[in-house]
Amino acid sequence: MSRTTRAWLVAACVLSPSLFALAAPANAQGIPQNIPRNETLILENPEGTIKNAGWFNIWSINAGSQSNGLQQAALDTLWYIDPESGIDGVWDNSLASEKPKYNADFTEMTVKLRKGIFWSDGVEFSAADVVGTVETQIKNPNMRFSAVLANNVASMDMPDESTVVFKLKKPNSRFHTNFTVRWGAIWIMPKHVFDKVADPLKFDFNKPVSLGAYTLNSFDPDGKWYIWQLRDDWQRTSLGRFGKPGPKYLAYVDPGPPDKRVIAQLNHELDVIHDIAPEGMFTLAKQSKTTTAWFKGFPFGHPDPTLPALVFNTQNENFKNKDVRWALALLIDIKAVAMAAYRGAATISAIAVPPTGKHPEAYHQPMESWLKDFEVDTGKQKFKPYDPTVGKQIADMLRPSLGEQIPQDPKDIAKAFGQGWWKTNPQAAQELLEKAGYKKVGGQWQTPDGKPFTIRVMVEGDLRPVMTRAGSMIAQQWKQAGIDAKIDVAQGTLLTRRGAGDFDTFIGWSVETWGGHQDLSYFMDSWHSQFVAEAGKPQPLRNWQRWSSPELDKIIEQTRTIDFDDPKAIELGKDYVKLAAREMPIIPLMAYNVFTAMDQTYWTGYPTAENPYANPVTNWGNSRYMFVKLKPTGK
Amino acid sequence: MLAILRDLLKYNLEFRIGIILVGIVVGLAILSGFSPYPPGDVYVVPPDVPPSSAYWFGTTSRGQDVFWQVCVAIRNTLLFGITVAAISRVLSLVIGLLSGYKGGWIDRALMGVNDTFIVIPLFPILVLFYFVMRDSMTWLMLAMIMATLGWAYDARLIRAVAMSLKTREFSQTAVFSGMTTREILTREHLPYVMPIVFSTTMNNMNWSIGLEVTLSVLGFTDINTPTIGGMIYWANQHTAIVAGVWWWIAFPIAVVIMAFVGLFLLAVSMNEYIDPRSRLSRMGGGAR
Amino acid sequence: MSGYLAYLAKRLGQFVLVVFIGVNIAYVVTHATPIDPVEQSISAVTSFGNTAPEAIEQMRQSLKELYGVGGSWREQYFTFWSRILRADFGPSMSAFPTPVSALIGRALPWTVGLLVVSTLVTWALGNLLGGLAGYYQRSRSFKLMGVVAMGLHPIPYYIVALMLLIVFGFLWPVLPITGGSAMNLPQGWTLAFIGSVLKHSILPALSLILIGVGSWFLGMRSLVSNIVTEDYVQFAELGGVNRRRILGSYVMRNALGPQVTGLAMSLGGIFNGAIITEKVFGYPGVGTLLVDAVYAGDYGLVLGVTTISILGVSAGVLAIDLLYPLFDPRVQVA
Repeated sequence: MSRTTRAWLVAACVLSPSLFALAAPANAQGIPQNIPRNETLILENPEGTIKNAGWFNIWSINAGSQSNGLQQAALDTLWYIDPESGIDGVWDNSLASEKPKYNADFTEMTVKLRKGIFWSDGVEFSAADVVGTVETQIKNPNMRFSAVLANNVASMDMPDESTVVFKLKKPNSRFHTNFTVRWGAIWIMPKHVFDKVADPLKFDFNKPVSLGAYTLNSFDPDGKWYIWQLRDDWQRTSLGRFGKPGPKYLAYVDPGPPDKRVIAQLNHELDVIHDIAPEGMFTLAKQSKTTTAWFKGFPFGHPDPTLPALVFNTQNENFKNKDVRWALALLIDIKAVAMAAYRGAATISAIAVPPTGKHPEAYHQPMESWLKDFEVDTGKQKFKPYDPTVGKQIADMLRPSLGEQIPQDPKDIAKAFGQGWWKTNPQAAQELLEKAGYKKVGGQWQTPDGKPFTIRVMVEGDLRPVMTRAGSMIAQQWKQAGIDAKIDVAQGTLLTRRGAGDFDTFIGWSVETWGGHQDLSYFMDSWHSQFVAEAGKPQPLRNWQRWSSPELDKIIEQTRTIDFDDPKAIELGKDYVKLAAREMPIIPLMAYNVFTAMDQTYWTGYPTAENPYANPVTNWGNSRYMFVKLKPTGK
Repeated sequence: MLAILRDLLKYNLEFRIGIILVGIVVGLAILSGFSPYPPGDVYVVPPDVPPSSAYWFGTTSRGQDVFWQVCVAIRNTLLFGITVAAISRVLSLVIGLLSGYKGGWIDRALMGVNDTFIVIPLFPILVLFYFVMRDSMTWLMLAMIMATLGWAYDARLIRAVAMSLKTREFSQTAVFSGMTTREILTREHLPYVMPIVFSTTMNNMNWSIGLEVTLSVLGFTDINTPTIGGMIYWANQHTAIVAGVWWWIAFPIAVVIMAFVGLFLLAVSMNEYIDPRSRLSRMGGGAR
Repeated sequence: MSGYLAYLAKRLGQFVLVVFIGVNIAYVVTHATPIDPVEQSISAVTSFGNTAPEAIEQMRQSLKELYGVGGSWREQYFTFWSRILRADFGPSMSAFPTPVSALIGRALPWTVGLLVVSTLVTWALGNLLGGLAGYYQRSRSFKLMGVVAMGLHPIPYYIVALMLLIVFGFLWPVLPITGGSAMNLPQGWTLAFIGSVLKHSILPALSLILIGVGSWFLGMRSLVSNIVTEDYVQFAELGGVNRRRILGSYVMRNALGPQVTGLAMSLGGIFNGAIITEKVFGYPGVGTLLVDAVYAGDYGLVLGVTTISILGVSAGVLAIDLLYPLFDPRVQVA
């Protein structure tokens, strides 16, 4: 059959469901020219097209791209914490040679630096660079980390070339986390470059001098792609400890809308997809023999240490009462939400900690017995709302259609789908609402002052499809219970409205953690009532629910006084979990499962649930550990 | 009137096809009132079922019956298109004819307004309305906004025709015979611009429906109300095309195409019927 | 001739006024957006990283200062106009400190190149077919063509583009589906680069043409069907003038007037970019820039793009008004 005939035949059945089974081997169109494909790893940069493509100065505020490879391949800082298990443990001393050392009252932090690390222009990295990074940003108050550094650092000492001492303005047992990568951190600046610059704010840092294992090879002035090349002296970088990185070239590209990402991977022109809709992931799993994901089968996605939840605006009169918040939680059928959002490929969590990384071991499993005994008092009855079998129920629900892909072992089920959740209980919800003074008139709920009980569930639309889908399901469930609930698509405005407190509820997250480390202060510290803004004023991250509780303040203040690795932190974390369950300031839903699809045509050795050495999600700074583990297939 | 209709049905194939197509579409739109489920609800039927005897048009990945979705969506979309077209046609006709015929300062003033409407950027304005109005941005509201923004372009076209009509003999004769401006415009000029009005109506409906889809694809419309754009929006969110759920997109589009092709055929055949020359030729005479 | 000069002066005055009002409306609209560029920037840099809450307020202050969004509205307004008159749109907020003009300058050639060509081809094709269909009204094949054009016309552009992409990028992968040129090919006036740009433009242009032909077709068809009933056409036909000549010199020519107006306005209107084309095909251009800027609340950039578009459309309309009396002597200038 000639090519043309085949093309017409194929065009004729363009709307056929078996479309992708007919796929012809592609002759590559969308891959980088002039460099060998089998030495190149092509990854998605979820930032899309970079409008200011030639800007690499990451220390200015939001001027250029961050995850175009710059923070993954070219920059480096003192420490990394892996959201999973890590290559050599969760904690990695990167530019530092050991963990930070604090003095007794946490006002001084001493850092020992690695020797023999070089910038890509041949200058040796030293303590002067660390000091320069801090001092330049304090001197120029409009830079990215100026405020954080100026608020904390009183002065700096350099006893020798490889030791830095931070003298802090006030005790801070978590100061090192500013230099510890979870997605990103304060990156170290080349002092010898920035010293020559008059105004570091207006300096584009093009071409960037790297401290990581890769340097910039070329980039698209229109911002569609960036190509990085392995340094010849990769051994003189912190990644060199783990051996030679596999890919000689990294291409971070903007692959376009979700349908196109699927096509690109089926054409083997995109090795790692950052994220796609669940249906796109299922298509890839079905159509491409070479595509793999975090879980080998269902539910595929990598659970990021982020907790999508229904966030209340607790300054809103309707949601001030915890009974109302609990009633709304009891009206949710989490199985339906998991189906609507993720087609079941979700890892649910009843407690306000993401069910990922080290957390199930530290919190979810030990808390299980407490949850089972936990009681809610509706005024008319006391009952136990926790149903420990929900995760299993989801697995059972999916088994008929997905068969062997669904694990049988309860442990594996808990890992993939989560443990339990609150059981839907309309009767108790009604009693709780009535206890709070709400009335049901003609099948519709009214607030205590006689107005219709309306709830708008703010979602981000296209930008977060899965969250939008979860939100519309929850709104529907509330509507069916007699509440005037509707989703409110705030595409583009969600971030502004979230900060301004201009919402009833939204689907998003105010809980993010290290994942690989049990310390919860990463988000919890920002929940202290000292940061809660008055209604109408902008709220700083992350307490978007604007919830304040003296009990929580006490937990936070205690956490501040103990060391990052102190096992007492877990106990305090458990206290927080119990408090959050009683008060329900947010309704925790599930882990943010990211459908990172990885094509094994040219590369193998991607991180997976069986070999969880790193987070494969492409825009994370932590994804760099993947480069040293990837092996060419020889194709 | 009935006789004309019978004539058309008897002699004109295009008219027959057009009537059938438009009839089907209108029928679907009317059926929307009988949907067994609230159109906004999800997971009321099993998801991803291909077209079958139980679900004629299949079901979406959101567990909705595509058939009922299409019914509601085509009703909303057509109403939307017709509303925009009707309001903006009236505006563009009045302004175009008046401006072209009167000339002078009236022309300049009207065209000044007209040009301003042509140049002001549509997209940022629509998005701004969306940002400000939030969930009160219904399709009717959007239709009103687009109607007030969508007349200027065609008013200019009509003006161009009116300007040349004005110089024609019959206009001069009408003036000398003492007809008022209103009479000249409605009796003498309007018939000449009607075909243009018609074609711009179709184009305008296309424009407004297309823009509604564009805004939907970008996520700047009320996605709680099913429209053709809304259906595509949700299909997109579930990557329906690559996931093989083609019926989610194919059926709504097929219905839109039917509507437009049907309208086109009706218009063509009626035009032919009204045009005396072609009637002549049908009777066996005429030049061609 | 002096009559024409007076007309020219009046028309130019009108042009300046329209541009002034248009830009002012754009100014008000963009400044009325509820999106706060400062909040967007802060969210963009803090949504992942580890930032202490107390630092946020300081960051907010410094960004307000940098972006120049403090100050009274009067100061902002006058700064804006004094910049515009110097053809400077100031720095972009979402890509601070890069100037808006640099960002637009990078995207505009792509938009202009793609849209001028596809608009002209669409216009020519639509009018030719529309003219033929209007003249040979009873020809079945032209009617069928009408049906095809009308059938293609209402398919949402997004779907057409996606279908083309699937057919030519996946099922029969002969054409590139993403970007303006091949990846890692240096930009410059080299044969390889120009060829690559042309190849990458085929699908975007094709999709625009397929969707666009219908409306010109329909317009021309109705204009022509109107004209063929005119006495002079009838006389010419009875007088045995060659069919093709009638169509070319009598019919099409007289029907072209309004279509040329439309073309001028379409060409003027290309400066807003083709948002969906750029989105689907990953083609560089102004549309993506505009949407991004709207999201980021970067009103400097939105205003930059819209001002250029306002100038473009007004200039198109102006050109038509100035040339019209020269082409059609029957139109009196007043």
